Amino acid sequence: MIDETIDKSLNWVDDRLGTAKSGKTFLDKIFPDHWSFMLGEIALYSFVVLLATGVFLTLYYVPSSHDVIYNGSYIPLRGQHVSEAYSSSVALSFDVKSGLLMRQAHHWAADIFLGAMAVHMGRIVLTGAFRKPRELNFLIGVTMLMLGIVNGFLGYSLPDDLVSGTGIRIAYSIIESVPLVGSYLAFWLFGGNFPGDGSIIPRFFIIHVLIVPLIILGLLGAHLGLLVKQKHTQFKGPHRTEKNVVGTPMFPTFMAKTTGFLFMSTAVTFLLAGFAQINPFWQFGPYHPYQISYAVQPDWYMGWLDGALRIMPSWEWVGYGHTWPLEVFLPAVLFPGIIFNIFYAWPFLEARITKNRDYHNLLDSPRDRPKHTGAVVAMMALMLMVFLASSTDVLANFFNVPLQDTLWFFRFAVPIVPVIAGWLAYKICEELRHEDGAGKRKRASVVLRTEAGEYESIPSEPRPGDDHHELEPIEIPAFIDLVGADLATGEGVRRVLR
Amino acid sequence: MSSSTSNGQKPVPVDLPQLRPLAKRPEHTQVLIIICMLLGIAGFIGFMVAYWVGNQSQWQAASLGGGMLFFGFGVTAWGKYLMPRGPFVEERHDFDSSTSARSEFNAVITQRGGLVAKRRGVLLGLLALGSGLVGLALAFPLLRSLGPNPSKDTSAGNTNDSLSNTNWVKGSTVVTVDNRRVKVDDLEVGGVLTVFPAGNAGSSPDQVILIRLDNAQAAQAAPGRADWGCQGIVAFSKLCTHLGCPVGLYQQQTQQLVCPCHQSIFNVNAGCVPEFGPAPRPLPQLPITATSDGYLVANGSFNQPVGPGFWERP
Amino acid sequence: MRSLKKSAFLAPLALVGSVVVVGLFVFGPTSAQAASNTSVTASTRPAPTTTSPNLFTSGSTSTTRPSGYTVPTPRSTTSTTIPGVTTLGGSQPYVAPTGTPGLAYLNLPAAFLKPGQALFAANCATCHGNQAEGSSRAPNLQGLGSGTVDFWVSTGRMPLENDAVQATRKPPKFNQLQTLQMAAWVQSLTPGVGTQIPVVNTSKANLSNGQQYFTLNCAACHTITGAGDALANGAYAPTLHLAKPYQVVEAIRSGPGNMPRFGSGNITNAQARDIAAYVVGVLQHPANPGGYALGGVGPVGEGFVGLLIGVGTLMLICFWIGDRT
Repeated sequence: MIDETIDKSLNWVDDRLGTAKSGKTFLDKIFPDHWSFMLGEIALYSFVVLLATGVFLTLYYVPSSHDVIYNGSYIPLRGQHVSEAYSSSVALSFDVKSGLLMRQAHHWAADIFLGAMAVHMGRIVLTGAFRKPRELNFLIGVTMLMLGIVNGFLGYSLPDDLVSGTGIRIAYSIIESVPLVGSYLAFWLFGGNFPGDGSIIPRFFIIHVLIVPLIILGLLGAHLGLLVKQKHTQFKGPHRTEKNVVGTPMFPTFMAKTTGFLFMSTAVTFLLAGFAQINPFWQFGPYHPYQISYAVQPDWYMGWLDGALRIMPSWEWVGYGHTWPLEVFLPAVLFPGIIFNIFYAWPFLEARITKNRDYHNLLDSPRDRPKHTGAVVAMMALMLMVFLASSTDVLANFFNVPLQDTLWFFRFAVPIVPVIAGWLAYKICEELRHEDGAGKRKRASVVLRTEAGEYESIPSEPRPGDDHHELEPIEIPAFIDLVGADLATGEGVRRVLR
Repeated sequence: MSSSTSNGQKPVPVDLPQLRPLAKRPEHTQVLIIICMLLGIAGFIGFMVAYWVGNQSQWQAASLGGGMLFFGFGVTAWGKYLMPRGPFVEERHDFDSSTSARSEFNAVITQRGGLVAKRRGVLLGLLALGSGLVGLALAFPLLRSLGPNPSKDTSAGNTNDSLSNTNWVKGSTVVTVDNRRVKVDDLEVGGVLTVFPAGNAGSSPDQVILIRLDNAQAAQAAPGRADWGCQGIVAFSKLCTHLGCPVGLYQQQTQQLVCPCHQSIFNVNAGCVPEFGPAPRPLPQLPITATSDGYLVANGSFNQPVGPGFWERP
Repeated sequence: MRSLKKSAFLAPLALVGSVVVVGLFVFGPTSAQAASNTSVTASTRPAPTTTSPNLFTSGSTSTTRPSGYTVPTPRSTTSTTIPGVTTLGGSQPYVAPTGTPGLAYLNLPAAFLKPGQALFAANCATCHGNQAEGSSRAPNLQGLGSGTVDFWVSTGRMPLENDAVQATRKPPKFNQLQTLQMAAWVQSLTPGVGTQIPVVNTSKANLSNGQQYFTLNCAACHTITGAGDALANGAYAPTLHLAKPYQVVEAIRSGPGNMPRFGSGNITNAQARDIAAYVVGVLQHPANPGGYALGGVGPVGEGFVGLLIGVGTLMLICFWIGDRT
């Protein structure tokens, strides 16, 4: 009865769109079950939360630098001259029902979005999933990471509070530091000398809510489209070859799992939003260019740039009649440029170095490729160290050491730690690789002492679980008839293969 | 059911372990899942109630987030424990097309295209040139309409049109951010005050920090510029020469100005030369003096651009 | 069919569940407390200065605001009284307010001088000299005024415990009366000179002005949340979360340690009072309607929470959902 209705409506759609053939392929798409393949989903679902909460915020946020008198419900700001952007940000936090929850969910989702992208990328790089034929998808992913960082910074700037305003000031100076065109770019973007003619907030707004999200959305479609087209990678294992994918089908198993995961990702974001306060800009006050707070940091994903700026020696160079602000240009423009170019070039560099240009659908365990893993770990350690360098003052305060000492520590640690970490990772992988039976389950042995005093080791009887038993993968059944079936016993189940 | 038979697919054996659920006791699992999903639904309803009766983030988050957590847990557990456990297998197909398809496609580009293009090479060149130029043409309004060019005029004046200028000129009255004129005795020894030229209170490039040192220190504060201060008060641009943050952190005992952004440390006693951190240049000093009735005025303008470095900076 | 049968009792369960939740919210502790907000006023009990003031007004056009922060104490109760001063028999211990409602300076009685000198000789003179004239080990205190002495002693920074770069705040060694006695004696060496001991009535303060002048003058070192941070050469800007209003004003006026000194021509009496009110009324009891404040250290703490708890929890969930072989 209900089957017929569904049949009819599906046929109606197919008559007009011809979706049945590709739809079947899509529903049959196999997803390998390894947990680390779900890291990208965290990013995907955080992005969904970002879009949903972001739309809510645009209904109340006013992207304007106009001077207004704050007259909302937060007493310590009443009567102050603030920008309309700041006033509306505070208002949407306090005077719009659920506004605070939505704004905090938006901010937490951004932090999680970028964190998940970083972790996802770490998994891709460590296991070698970026190799042929997936280089293009890797490039798309790196681009999305870059755009995500940019958009995070723009969104962080929109409330126009003291802390984020300081960030905009720094961004202006960074643009200004570009040789030849810097001051022109800064003047154009801001409409004059800092703080400009008030056009920066509306411009950041339109880039933040329209342009970058649109590009990310397009790239996301391409990212997932390529994933479907090229099919998932998988780890080595029984019955798994370069020529197949073993796992669970899109419909219904994976769909159920991932829908549940969408709910759970959103849940974590909203629980954080309700119980962990983020960016309480009402405490910071509005931005004025002559005011400053100590211990201001950007959001975590910008920390590596801030750290690089901090540890850079004051190497301004004056020559050829011009000032070259290398102490800004090198860490804030060239360094991220180099880092992202390394990311972009990584798949092609590795193919060239290893001279391996085969298709790779099976992933490597990181320990099986020590040199590769060492290089990746060194890169991660570099990013971690410049990231930590962005909190020199907080660390100095926490460990009660002079400010200068923490900075000197990082000036040395940033180049040295990656080398050590990479070398250590390389050695550990080498050791693990040569360890006999590494990663396998161990079976107990009984050691007997004979009367003569000799020792004898006898492997014990295998217990359940000692030898991992892997079911042989089967074709995806086209139809599982559950009517009257007992899933526990399999009784009464009629199944039909494709 | 009818479709299965009509498609002529053969039934698979019922006892395939891959088609059994992962759960050892599916009925028990199902009860747990029902509880989870009910808790989730209760949370969703709870959110509506929490919204209705008040506006507390914590209750809203607990109900909505908690609800979604339980609901999602239930749905995922349904997929993980009650649906056929697999594993299932799917064959991969080669990404690259067959050799013949490739060569046909390539031939279309190289031969058909070549036939047209090589015969009329001029047209192809013009096409490329025109496409490039149209992009360039569009970049004009896209970039150039955004804002003004920095002015080359280095005389003091409107600070919005040049990176080199400030509104400080000889005789500018020193005022606080509240437009209050500043007297020498408004600052105690060891005190600091953020000031602006009258008429430009709050302006970013004009911000200046007044520091009152005792007289012996003030003489040291600016080598060769002993008369730039006034009764121990010295005035420096408050814009850090690193990235333009306001250098508002003054350590009175050590006479150091510290930039709160990236911790550049300036030695006030030696004319605000940077002694640590990424800042490359001393903070520019503003000569000040006092009028006969005791109010501070500028005795000249800055002798160099304030703030961070840029290409056109001399 | 089987699942359909199940859904037959699914509906009533959902109903029961939702009723329970509705009940929880209607009769929950928060709403009960909110209801009592209007009836319980501060007059029923002496409001200690440690209770959080309400930083939100209901006078705005809006009808909704985070109710998580409403507390039953009106914020006009954070004025400071100095025990031991008001209870001294005889004359009024305050000088007449000099044009600034809410900030007055303490007029210490002459009866304090003798015990003050004795206390100073016993506890301070070893380093600072018998006439507070200073020595190679410690600065001259003459001319610094009673407020300076009161700040250093009442914050526990004096007597010094060790020769660290900077004296740290600790529980004061002397009670309020003893502190005032010593302060009175030091003040008597240079009458009328130096920082006086202020009495701050923050109920007259304008928090919004306090916010602005705090940000302009104090946030560059003490941070915008008053948490404090490390300075150059091992010094640090201490946290303001323990400061009393009169200590805030004393610090502003006397510039202890590396802190700049702000005279009344720089920060007026009214502004100093507003800053003190902002420090104790807002920074020490910040409005955190968004949940746990994560130590108030900004994006550093937020980043750790976002990565460790946010991404970490989700990775654990992935770990549960997925295969682990």
